[in-house]
Amino acid sequence: MSLLINHLKISINGKSLFPEVHMEITKGNIQTLMGPSGCGKSTILAAISGTLSTNFSIAGEIFLDDLPLMNLPTEERQVGILFQDDLLFPHFNVCQNLMFALPQNISKKVKLSRIFQALESAGLQGFDKRDIATLSGGQRARISMLRALLAEPKAILLDEPFSKLDAELKLSFREFVFNKIKEMNIPALLVSHDRADCYGDQYFDLQTGQFKQC
Amino acid sequence: MKKTALSILSASALTLALAACSDSPDSKDIEISQELTWDEIVDKAKGQKVYFNAWGGSETINDYISWAAERVKEDYGVEVEQVKVTETGNVVSRILAEKTAGRNEDGSVDLVWINGENFKAMKENELLAQPYTQLLPNYELVDTEGKPTTVFDFTTPVDNMEAPWGMAQLVFMFDSAKVPQAPGSITELMKFAADNPGRVTYPAPPSFHGTTFIKQALLELADDASALYQPVDESDFEMVSKPLWDFLDQLHPTMWRGGEAFTQGADEMKQLLNDGEILISLSFNPNDASNAIANQELPDTVRTYVHNSGTIGNTHFVAIPYNSSAKAGAMVFSNFLMSAEAQARKANPEVWGDPTVLAYNKLDSKGKALFDDLPIGVATLSADALGTVLREPHTSWVAALENEWQKRYLK
Amino acid sequence: MRVKSTLVLFPILCLILLLAPILLGLVSTWLPAFGYMPVIGATHFSLSYFNALFQHPAFTASVTSTLVSGIGATVLSLALAFWVIMHLYGTRSWAFLQKSLSPLLAMPHAAFAIGIALLISPSGWLLRIISPDITGFDSPPDWLILKDPKGYSLLFVLVLKETPFLILMILSALNQIKFRETFWVGSSLGYSSIRIWSRLVIPQLMPKLRLPILAVAAYSLSVVDISLIVGPSAPPTFAVLINRWFNDPDVSMRLLGSAGAVVLFLIVALVLLSILIIEQLLAKTTASNLVNGSRRSIISTLRPLAYGLNYSLSIIGIVCLAVLIIWSFTQVWRFPDALPSAYSLKYWAKSWPNLVDLSITSVTIALASTLISAIIVVGCLEFEVWAKRNGQSINHQRVLLLNYLPLLIPQIAFIFGVQVLLLWAHVEGTWFSMVWSHLIFVLPYVFLTLSGVYRGYDQRFYDVALTLSGSKWKSFYQIKLPMLLKPLLYSTAIGCSVSLAQYLPTLFAGAGRFSTVTTETVNLASGSDRRVMAVYALWQFAIPLIIFALAIGLPNRIFKDRVAMKS
Repeated sequence: MSLLINHLKISINGKSLFPEVHMEITKGNIQTLMGPSGCGKSTILAAISGTLSTNFSIAGEIFLDDLPLMNLPTEERQVGILFQDDLLFPHFNVCQNLMFALPQNISKKVKLSRIFQALESAGLQGFDKRDIATLSGGQRARISMLRALLAEPKAILLDEPFSKLDAELKLSFREFVFNKIKEMNIPALLVSHDRADCYGDQYFDLQTGQFKQC
Repeated sequence: MKKTALSILSASALTLALAACSDSPDSKDIEISQELTWDEIVDKAKGQKVYFNAWGGSETINDYISWAAERVKEDYGVEVEQVKVTETGNVVSRILAEKTAGRNEDGSVDLVWINGENFKAMKENELLAQPYTQLLPNYELVDTEGKPTTVFDFTTPVDNMEAPWGMAQLVFMFDSAKVPQAPGSITELMKFAADNPGRVTYPAPPSFHGTTFIKQALLELADDASALYQPVDESDFEMVSKPLWDFLDQLHPTMWRGGEAFTQGADEMKQLLNDGEILISLSFNPNDASNAIANQELPDTVRTYVHNSGTIGNTHFVAIPYNSSAKAGAMVFSNFLMSAEAQARKANPEVWGDPTVLAYNKLDSKGKALFDDLPIGVATLSADALGTVLREPHTSWVAALENEWQKRYLK
Repeated sequence: MRVKSTLVLFPILCLILLLAPILLGLVSTWLPAFGYMPVIGATHFSLSYFNALFQHPAFTASVTSTLVSGIGATVLSLALAFWVIMHLYGTRSWAFLQKSLSPLLAMPHAAFAIGIALLISPSGWLLRIISPDITGFDSPPDWLILKDPKGYSLLFVLVLKETPFLILMILSALNQIKFRETFWVGSSLGYSSIRIWSRLVIPQLMPKLRLPILAVAAYSLSVVDISLIVGPSAPPTFAVLINRWFNDPDVSMRLLGSAGAVVLFLIVALVLLSILIIEQLLAKTTASNLVNGSRRSIISTLRPLAYGLNYSLSIIGIVCLAVLIIWSFTQVWRFPDALPSAYSLKYWAKSWPNLVDLSITSVTIALASTLISAIIVVGCLEFEVWAKRNGQSINHQRVLLLNYLPLLIPQIAFIFGVQVLLLWAHVEGTWFSMVWSHLIFVLPYVFLTLSGVYRGYDQRFYDVALTLSGSKWKSFYQIKLPMLLKPLLYSTAIGCSVSLAQYLPTLFAGAGRFSTVTTETVNLASGSDRRVMAVYALWQFAIPLIIFALAIGLPNRIFKDRVAMKS
């Protein structure tokens, strides 16, 4: 299982946003992508998830387990996303938010047990009936991550998910996210402008198109 | 992509068109002809729905129409629905628009409450069904001799194309608690207005009551009223109408709002009379004052009066448009409206108080009894006291007078 | 790239539903104006009907009163709206104003006009209260207050009705500019708040207020129902006069009416154009003044007046309501009694069965036209979202203009033509024609009230839902729609209240077979019985209020445990 970004170039009005990107992320691995704001980090993620405006022209290919993604609509790509905002649905409670991510064809009993299991794994047992507006920022962030994973994506994109949290929370949440990804054993692409987010030995510098040491 | 859009659109347009088609009536109506028998008409009428377009500004009248509708449903299985209109002119224009659009069947109007100008317009534009009142049994009871306005509608020959429904006569109302002696003529009215500045007015022509008021004034003031019964272009309009304008020129400065604003009709006048804002109001229904007192719309000291030389009277009718899809039902309903039962109820001041078109002596004993039992309103004049009924001037005078009035008094 | 092609149907449908009746209606009104109406034997094109129109004795006077009331109402209500907002924004009375705005707006024009008439006429409640003790009047004075020939009373009622609308429009425009920052910068440079408004805020607001102002002008110049109730009577305003000609028993008057409709259309077009030119001129001539450095204005001293105005708008509304309530329970109420001498439930009881019937018709038409509008509007806005993502640019200004079109063209200028077309298609007087004719005026309001919030929706919620559920439909109706439920229901309520208030479209498209609470109320306003009139006017007011209460209450109930959905 891997996410392959094959000689990807994105341009608008004939102007390239960044040098060619080429990388393969294997399962259980987290590749960090860094660059200053405005250099097109989020654009890459949008291209992978299929939410990019067609104003941009894309060259190159993206494969998820040898499946070409480029011509698939977002809903069929099986790629999860986590944004810096938790984007929890305000009209649902915690349980409903998580339930929405689960596939339709499993019984309610199974769904609930998976939700409870997930909440417990995040230290949030007993939070299922809570209104999301009553949760703290850290709790919301964790639920958002749980929700993304319950949909059983084959890859996950992380769009600066730690940037809005304060320093202490950031550390624990980062650990939480990284552990979860290892657990799920899926490839992850992390976009950030904070060196501390760097995972593993090297990060990809979008400005130069080079891998660099963390 | 575009192609799909268009095909879906045209498909929905087709559905709409089909829906419109299925709207047309399933049962066929009758053709009106001299050979029709009453039984055939009644038979065909059963189950028909009649859209009766009638002025709906009075709850009293609407209630009466509901009652009549219920009665014909019971007796004949005809369903009548009152379409309440603000102005009968609207109905005429709608039927005309239907003719314009080639909708010669299944018209939206099956029966219309009408008279005067509107009838003339419909007759001239061939918007009326074939003559039919002679086929209705109750038409025999109509007082065509004693009430010539039942055969000449504002000088237009009725020719059996509308069924007489009720009688109207211009009457005036005053509050006897405030006015000891009502003026007996149009010239006395002017004196009265001068003595009571700001307390007299009349509705602005071309509203129905306003036009009637200036016709009444001219009939009283003209040197030779017979000219008014000829088409206006056959007489010297300027000369004949001069006394009217002289009169109004004098009257207006003494009037309500200094003659700068006018009321819209008799209903507004009634309100103003009730408030004491004006001292004299007018109506085309001799029972109006009694009704209004019973309904507490006017103080119980209000009384009715007419001018000594008589006032204008006319008849109102119901007529069937040429493109009605329920002519049989409309005929059955017209016939019922002319029955002794319906006419006596209508004449009852506690119900409506609209004078009958029937001849008392043509009624059977049961019918006579119905009329004998009618209460007489406190402010209603007897047939005697109502005095002479003046006929409406020739219809062509209406537009001429209205036009001249607007030219002179709209600033 | 896969394309969601079906969404494009919505803008197409919207275009057809709005433009077709207006354009075709205009054409089939214009042909008779130039003498072409074959059915009544008019087949020769000529200008004689325009001649006849200009010669008509009522023409000059009715155009004069139309211009006085129409232009006067536009200018005054705009001035008042700015006046109130400038002085009260951020003060304690502001909260009060915001609360009172919605009920004022929901009050139907006809009911409001009837209430005002019962209040301020020489036999109205105000004089009844102070007579005869203070005034010495035993009978109503002969004062030319209502229905004056120049249309000042009509102007007054229009101002009361349009000011709240413009206040609302200014508020929504304020949300689109950086008002707070502008104000901050302005005050830090030492400018008084009035100067900040006139120099910094209003110039930014004007482009956004242009269409609402033009709509107010077009409406005020061509209104029929209010004008029938409080407008001049001899002659009436031009729109009423044209309406009368369209309904004259003499069929040739249709031609005159059509010529009138064309002229009214041109008059309105001319006035709208002048407003645009004047706005440009003002902007140019004041441009240098804007930076002349003056920091204080004499107007600042007049602040108390604005407070008074704020409250009097609401007080007039409340007193209007009160006088309607009293009259509806009256048996006898003679001048100069301050209150009725006898009360009765009779008129409610008597009117009730009819009111129920009328309400069913009115609400059915309102709901049908509003729901269809809402579906089309949501479809169009979804198309925008799709188009944006697919690299197509949507000209928002053009979309806005299309939606404003039905509000800028006088109803009477094309409704006769629409009637002819409906007749031709044999659909006159059907539910279909009723709903469509209302839709023309409902859809723009649904669009205008919904589009801002809808465009502002954070589409990432939908994207996340897509990745989670793998279903577009689920993401749309389980996530996006519920999150937008509140604004959706609010627009629906606005749409319903617009439909409920329609007068001319109901008359012309309904073939008289459809009576609504509004047509009946306007009818009764010309009757003699104030008690029945008050019952109907109150009910006309009550229905939209109930709908608004539902639209606001329902989401709060559904989301009673969801704090974030309440703000």
